[in-house]
Amino acid sequence: MKKMKMGKFPKPASIPQPKTPSSLIPSQKPSKTPLIPSSKFNFKSPDLSAAKSLFNSISSTVNPDLNHTNSFLKSYASISTVDDSISLLRHMIKTHPAFSPDRSTYHILLTHSCAAPDPSLSPVHGVLNLMSSAGFSPDKVTADIAVRALCYAGKIDHAVQLFDEMSLRHSVPDSYTYNFLVKCLCKCRPLSTIYEFIDKTRSSFGLKPDLVTYTIIIDNVCNSKNLREITRLVAVLGEEGFKPDCFLYNTIMKGYCMLSRGSEAIEVYNKMKENGVEPDTVTYNTLIFGLAKSGRAKEARKYLKIMAEKGHSPDVVTYTSLMNGLCRERDVLGAYALLEEMKERGCEPNECTYNTLLHGFCKAKMVERGVELYRVMKERGMELDTAAYATLVRVFCRRGEVAEAYEVFDYAVESKSLTNVAAYSTLESALKEVNKAREQGRIA
Amino acid sequence: MLPPRMKQAVMDNPKKLANLIDLVNLPTPLREFMGQSQTSRLGCFMHVWSYIKENKLQDPNNNNVINCDGKLRSILLGKPQVELAELPALVKLHFPKKPI
Repeated sequence: MKKMKMGKFPKPASIPQPKTPSSLIPSQKPSKTPLIPSSKFNFKSPDLSAAKSLFNSISSTVNPDLNHTNSFLKSYASISTVDDSISLLRHMIKTHPAFSPDRSTYHILLTHSCAAPDPSLSPVHGVLNLMSSAGFSPDKVTADIAVRALCYAGKIDHAVQLFDEMSLRHSVPDSYTYNFLVKCLCKCRPLSTIYEFIDKTRSSFGLKPDLVTYTIIIDNVCNSKNLREITRLVAVLGEEGFKPDCFLYNTIMKGYCMLSRGSEAIEVYNKMKENGVEPDTVTYNTLIFGLAKSGRAKEARKYLKIMAEKGHSPDVVTYTSLMNGLCRERDVLGAYALLEEMKERGCEPNECTYNTLLHGFCKAKMVERGVELYRVMKERGMELDTAAYATLVRVFCRRGEVAEAYEVFDYAVESKSLTNVAAYSTLESALKEVNKAREQGRIA
Repeated sequence: MLPPRMKQAVMDNPKKLANLIDLVNLPTPLREFMGQSQTSRLGCFMHVWSYIKENKLQDPNNNNVINCDGKLRSILLGKPQVELAELPALVKLHFPKKPI
């Protein structure tokens, strides 16, 4: 029904070198050498000898600098195997003595070795050894690149393994890498695995979870609706001496709101004010959403006012949440009035807003108004959501306006609002239900 | 923040989903109408419905009724008129339940 962005976790900022080798493409950096169009590096075949001779011909005409050689290697590596890429690098060093690969050159190979379809970490180890022997001992950046690449390739167990190895042999990865890995673990592993990982890194490498780590875990716990765990983690947080920031409060509040715990959400809000943390727009949006969801639209409306007084202008998310709440309480007209109000304030309604109202009108048996809204949506090419589509189709079928229901079906399929299967099965079951009712004489 | 999406009963039930989208060898009359030997129940319904729209077979006085032409009659039990509401059920007749 609505989407609310809780904000993003901070991205690594302290990493001294580019995180992804893509920023090594020459087009992004001014270069003095006569330009070699980067399209020239679009390799079509992973043939090693062809790549070697192409490099020879380039290096004999122009004097490629590090950027060029790196992007040359990168584009070859992207379609080739790790071993062939390493051979190419060796060839490049041999035939073009002016070229001395730097850390970023090896990081290119590292990224690709992480993505390689190999059931073990051996290609990664190969590149790391190569790197060390060239005099570049793997550092925090190396660890970050490798861990991220492994996670993106879906090899999370390998990422954990590499994290441990890096910590043991080289340098302990920084908190950005650590938090990234925790976040990835949260997505696909049970909570116990994450706690194990945290305990292990704490005892063996002295890495402590920070506020961001706790936010990640609490966010994950909230999404799995584990109320008791939220409470426990908040307590642990206090013991560890962390002071929750606005973002963390928002996350905790979100957890309560998802469970329709309006009172707890208000408690969080009051606690924020007690602790001197200024609520932001997301806080109010979350609170209004939560209250509306737990059937307390009146209070939600109160917070809409407070929000505006505090200088946070309500946005489309705020209004849509509140409308949703009003619709739940069968006050569609109130919700519709809000639509006018938001338009007056210069806040454009979006698809979610219209879907919420459409659903509300259909549920409240004010079909004409709903149809009106549907026409507006159709005119603007807006997608229908599952709930709005289903209620609209059902209403049409019940009123015997089957052709209209088919028309909505056509629109849903055409606008790709729903998959064909979902759209059809809704239509089919609506018709079935109505036919059955008609047989039993429940409706004419 | 997205509340769990209202999931369709059909999408949750692999058997029902398969019933809808699995390709089936068609009986002869349907084969002629569809112009292919295999299709799914969903594909068949979409084909019939677009055939109706293309040939404007909906009754001008009552949109909810289809005046079948010869081709359509051959696959819809030979009825001269069919209600839109029964269309899914009529199409389903060609796709008997698979013995388990």
